[in-house]
Amino acid sequence: MNSLFFMYLTNGIVMGIIFALSALGVSLIVGIMNVINFAHGELYIFAGYISYILSVKLGISFYFAIPIAILTIFIIGILIEESLIKPTYGNDMYSLIITFILSIVLQNFALLVFGPFPNKPPNWISGATNMFGLFRYGNQRLVSCLAAIGIIIIVFLLIKKTWFGKTIRAVSQDRETASLMGIDTSKVNMLSFGLGCAIAGAAGVVLAPIFPVTPLAGVEISLIAFIILVIGGMGSLWGCIIGGLIIGIVQSFGAAYISSGYKDIFGFIILILVLFIRPSGLFGRKAL
Amino acid sequence: MLEVQNIDIYRGETQILWDVSFRINQKEIVAILGANGAGKSTLIASILGLLHPVSGKIIFRENDISKISSHAITRMGIACVPEGRHIFQDMTVLENLEIGAYSKRARPSLNKNIKWVFDLFPIMNERKNQLGGTLSGGEQQMLAIGRALMSKPDLLLLDELSLGLAPKITIDLLKTIETLRDENTTILLVEQNVEMALNHCDRSYILETGKISIEGTAQELMSNDHIRKAYMGI
Repeated sequence: MNSLFFMYLTNGIVMGIIFALSALGVSLIVGIMNVINFAHGELYIFAGYISYILSVKLGISFYFAIPIAILTIFIIGILIEESLIKPTYGNDMYSLIITFILSIVLQNFALLVFGPFPNKPPNWISGATNMFGLFRYGNQRLVSCLAAIGIIIIVFLLIKKTWFGKTIRAVSQDRETASLMGIDTSKVNMLSFGLGCAIAGAAGVVLAPIFPVTPLAGVEISLIAFIILVIGGMGSLWGCIIGGLIIGIVQSFGAAYISSGYKDIFGFIILILVLFIRPSGLFGRKAL
Repeated sequence: MLEVQNIDIYRGETQILWDVSFRINQKEIVAILGANGAGKSTLIASILGLLHPVSGKIIFRENDISKISSHAITRMGIACVPEGRHIFQDMTVLENLEIGAYSKRARPSLNKNIKWVFDLFPIMNERKNQLGGTLSGGEQQMLAIGRALMSKPDLLLLDELSLGLAPKITIDLLKTIETLRDENTTILLVEQNVEMALNHCDRSYILETGKISIEGTAQELMSNDHIRKAYMGI
């Protein structure tokens, strides 16, 4: 036990929470609509690009750039749902293929418009903090982590406490009965797809100062999000948080004590272990 | 209150209901009775807008609702206790009731209606913070009825109330239903258990292989030889 151990642990937890946030949006959409959104990572990088353009090119303060970026992704999400996902209702395979193609289209769009080089919005905060006299940790990462926790809490409150949240849960548990309660299920689909995308966007703006966005950066985020989704259990929000933390911590320790070259493989090893022991995931139930 | 006029209903390619007509008057308990596969659930689904008739009309308070989607129909004042109850398993009893009051017409009187449901079924008050899935079958049925009542419906549809319940519980629930009728809710009861239903309804229609074969008051049907033989085993 030395200060390095605590640094790896801190880093693992911070990354885990950030991973959890990036998986939350996919999980929400799977839980409600049974649609797997492969374009999740691309929406994430688009939010990063939008916050980059607003803050670097247009000189808007990040206090405004962040909500604008998230709102834009929310609207894009709703447009995607209305135009591409709605016609596929009742056939999960079609929506899977469509979002997969959408992700490739968006990647190439980003390559065409923003170029292949990494872009990065300015840090919100500079410097580092001395953690308990053990090590120094970057302030931007700490602030991003706090922002991620804040967003996760907002999403949980939205789902557990509001009317909109209750309708989402009702639809995810029993669509037909929900419509018999007077709930317009296609409107709930539209809004929850938008919400899921907006969470991806939120993850994008929170992470872009730490991990600069490139046209292909979304692939890695998507991959980690899907690992977390399966580990935690499809559609389970708590599963996302726990799954995210597990992946974050294991990656951090694995990279430190085994080899950073194998960083990405640890997630898959855990995935295989979880699938052996609990094929439906740690919190595997089809409800929020 | 509700008038079904000559509807033909298909599920996919198969015609399930043939030229079905019936009416329900205000403050009446009407039972649609029939064996398994007679088309009872299909009939409920078409009133609720889950299926749309190919021909014919469904008139609810002077409006043709046969082409309206189900959430809009609920908002007009028709509520349903679905077959197999379908309560939201991972939501608490209270949340289940709140969701029942989702429609705008019911929202303002939410608290009053919750109190009303708790008066009808005091056990729901004791269980209000329990998850719906942890209730017993009879309690789930009470919750499903309570949830439907939360929208303060003018017309309440009950699909297979007796399914999976002990006879005593079913009879208690049917008595509650009679109280509801006396408080001015109109009720459509769809049942396999013919004898039990006839004891608690005002009028009834018998549905056989997708067609209405017999109709009459409860007393008339109870003394009908065909019904006594085919459905009551007497």
